[in-house]
Amino acid sequence: MRYEAVIGLETHVELATNSKIFCSCGGHSTKGEPNTRVCPACAGMPGMLPVTNRRVVELAMRAGILLHCDISRYTTFDKKSYYYPDLPCAYQITQWFHPVCRNGSVEVTTKDGTRTIGIKQIHMEEDAGKLVHDDWTETTLVDFNRTSVPLIEIVSKPDFRTADEVMAYLEKLKTMFRFANISECEEGAMRCDVNISIRPEGTEELGVRTEIKNMSSLSSIRRAIQYETARHLDAVERGTETLVQETRRWDDVKGRTFSMRNKETAADYRYFPDPNLMPILIGEDWIRRVRDTMPASIEEKTAEYQSKGLSEKEIASLTSERALCDLFDAVTAAGRDPKEAASWILTECGGILRKHGQVMGELRVAPEKLSRIMEKVSGNEINRAAGRKVLEAVLYEDADPDAYCKAHNLSAQGDADAVRQVVLKVLDATPNAVKDYLGGKKKAFQALFGGCMKELKGNGDPQVIRTLLEEELSKRS
Amino acid sequence: MMTPEALSALEQLNEMRLTADEAAEMLSIFRDMEAHEAALREIDTDNVEIMVHVMPLTNILRDDVQEQPFTRESLLEGAPEHTDDSWQVPRLVK
Amino acid sequence: MGQFVTEINANGVIAVDDTIQVKGYETRAGSRILEGFKPLFSAETVERLEGAGYAVAGKSAVGEFGLDLLGEFAHGGPCLDASGALRGAAAELVAAGQVRGALNVDLNGAPRRAAALSGVDFLKPTYGTVSRYGVIPCACSGEQVGVTAKTAGAVRELLRVIAGHDPKDGTSLPAETYDYGNGKDVPGMRVGLVRELTDAASDDMKARVTAYAERMRGLGVTVEEVSLPLAEAARTAWNLLLCAETCNNVSRYDGVKFGYRSPDYRNIDELYVNSRTEGLNFLTKAVILYGSDALSKGRYVTCYDKALRVRRLVWEQVKGLFKDFDALLCPACSRTEYRPYAIADAFKTVFEESLFTAIPNLTGVPAMASGGVQCFADTLRESSLLNLAEAMEGSGAK
Repeated sequence: MRYEAVIGLETHVELATNSKIFCSCGGHSTKGEPNTRVCPACAGMPGMLPVTNRRVVELAMRAGILLHCDISRYTTFDKKSYYYPDLPCAYQITQWFHPVCRNGSVEVTTKDGTRTIGIKQIHMEEDAGKLVHDDWTETTLVDFNRTSVPLIEIVSKPDFRTADEVMAYLEKLKTMFRFANISECEEGAMRCDVNISIRPEGTEELGVRTEIKNMSSLSSIRRAIQYETARHLDAVERGTETLVQETRRWDDVKGRTFSMRNKETAADYRYFPDPNLMPILIGEDWIRRVRDTMPASIEEKTAEYQSKGLSEKEIASLTSERALCDLFDAVTAAGRDPKEAASWILTECGGILRKHGQVMGELRVAPEKLSRIMEKVSGNEINRAAGRKVLEAVLYEDADPDAYCKAHNLSAQGDADAVRQVVLKVLDATPNAVKDYLGGKKKAFQALFGGCMKELKGNGDPQVIRTLLEEELSKRS
Repeated sequence: MMTPEALSALEQLNEMRLTADEAAEMLSIFRDMEAHEAALREIDTDNVEIMVHVMPLTNILRDDVQEQPFTRESLLEGAPEHTDDSWQVPRLVK
Repeated sequence: MGQFVTEINANGVIAVDDTIQVKGYETRAGSRILEGFKPLFSAETVERLEGAGYAVAGKSAVGEFGLDLLGEFAHGGPCLDASGALRGAAAELVAAGQVRGALNVDLNGAPRRAAALSGVDFLKPTYGTVSRYGVIPCACSGEQVGVTAKTAGAVRELLRVIAGHDPKDGTSLPAETYDYGNGKDVPGMRVGLVRELTDAASDDMKARVTAYAERMRGLGVTVEEVSLPLAEAARTAWNLLLCAETCNNVSRYDGVKFGYRSPDYRNIDELYVNSRTEGLNFLTKAVILYGSDALSKGRYVTCYDKALRVRRLVWEQVKGLFKDFDALLCPACSRTEYRPYAIADAFKTVFEESLFTAIPNLTGVPAMASGGVQCFADTLRESSLLNLAEAMEGSGAK
């Protein structure tokens, strides 16, 4: 008998907001020293009351729109109770009864083809804090920076059959969410609970289901799914063990899952509507406004860039990051040529980042500065090599292009008159080489050219120097 | 019907312990309240919506603005046990 | 009697219940579990009073989290009068003239009861008109900060200062000011005397309410007996909601972040259990356990959800009466005097007594204890309560 795996995913995604979901502390979970983005509410102290961050609702709506969900007209928050030191109030505010989005879908493509994965719901909730286990003091240290950082949880239907599909889905969500500025999806900002069961192919009834909790790296998720599927198969086909419905933990070092037989999994969460948070009504107008102000999708950007004459490869590279598209759009909006802009961003910036051991995703450059450099080069104020040098200074020293050119005497390099002065100076200083050249020793040209380059500290445009040299030499023949 | 076993589980869930006398009194409280709950269930609420909030406010939202008016030192000051930057509890995992 | 648990300013004129935060001063909500807890900010109501020039004299004692009848199980012991009868600490401070007024949290009627017993006034305003920011939370869906003072005029004066929109409280109504009446317009008012609540009171309390009704008539007020058949259901529903919400809100007190930590633990479980077992009294424990059970998987629908539906029915019933009546008159408690009793009996005692006080907490309507009895009014009709009380005080009812 052939078996198939039935896999469902609960994916937690940290939203890209300035502040937390219910208080005004900084919203980015990985920034800052421990407990520096914390207020009395984050520390579980009484007295403060939650007030919902509008941006969180709108980013959740954005995610719902991208995943073809129905956006709820009426959505509310509920409290979920359990004890753990990373949960300062011993309750988490989440959405249990009326989640913000329902009934969506997303297409995932693997080597085996494209399949549609159903989305059961998306809900908003607050994250928990972080625990650091300290060997020196034999204590656990509690950091509430991440407490109340906004999350959306995307609950898929049990529509996955392979780990490849799960990988494709997570990669797609990641790209989509980054591209729509919903989440930065940095390491740890996307976490998954995976539900797995197996059944004979062609049957409907689900087998015993286990849940693997809280994994954040894609490779762990893949290995955990492969391990757990094999464990289920062994149990069903060879009777190696009796499967029970339970929550398990993935151990990345040992490469296997372990049962979590603790009270946390047995807890009754006692959900109830939060009396401090009023219902949120979402009308057509609001949905339209969110849809209209959403950044263009990858598909829309691809079409736009095709019409601007960019190559498939350039388009794929630019649309890999929302920030690259934003940069490209800003530079072209400032009047720079699209092909040139793509080349400067992907080839020049990319090259410099590589040289410094960084990747495109880490590119941070003010569009005005890049645009200014391109303008200088295209206007022959400086040559491309000099432009590259300025760009490096802009990227790593936060230099101002004009000020940098001035300080490093780069503005003259493209100026034919100034170069001509250098050429004349070199010709006057090396009469022997001139004589050799005019006498037919073409090799002497290289010496003269090198002299000019040296005089220009390597920043001369070779073409300009060559032309001027030939011109001046012909005058002396 | 609340049983001594269920009460004991309830104590665990709420991280507390009752004395034997308190547990006996608690079971008696549950018995009393069960009678009142039964009376409540007699009331027909088939076509009645729940009422979580007594005032009809909706869409109470704030702008996404970051503020950090409280210092870490002041938050940690009243902690029973803490380091320079964190709250401290007995080690959770070996 | 009439003592502060924490003194703040010898020249102060306001007592603030220990369930309301004053920045920098220990706030224990009558509990050991909050030992040493010094809030980092003041309640909005305290800020507003101080901003208007009313200095806080000190923190007045409350029972643990304000859950008991009158503060009889306050961490520092009960407040008793000369005869040994139980009194509310803030109400006694007001009655003795030590302060001009007090801020109290009306969670399950304690400040209304206390005012009625000490012969002063307490008004629980309409839900959402006064900020709950800085209140030690228990049952957020129905608790409100109110004012105790000697006269309706003094209540009105303080209420005007503390009421109005607060963006830090997501349940705060948008209005900046409210109509608190002018002490006039009483002749011609219609008051309903609630049969179910009056019948449930002791004879001397019944007599007190009847006499009050008579004096009202003397002011040109029409008083008629009315029926509120859901009064008992309202009590059960409110106590279910109160216990469940309180269970959730006080779960944060665990010995980890602030307040009391048991010295006796070897691991996190013992730290939690011992801190909470030692830090909370039996009444709070009973509230937590009953509330936790009401929210549990098997019971949510028949208990918590049911209470939320009954809340709507009670609200409709009360609203129906306010179509015909400006106010409802009833006792604030069953008896005219209370004596100290064992904490084992606290849950049942408070439940019994909350029959008289639960409806305003459950439905959000305003309620005022004055002249030893209490009145309810329709949402945002505090003016009716204050006008009636002021006229009655002028008529020599006190």
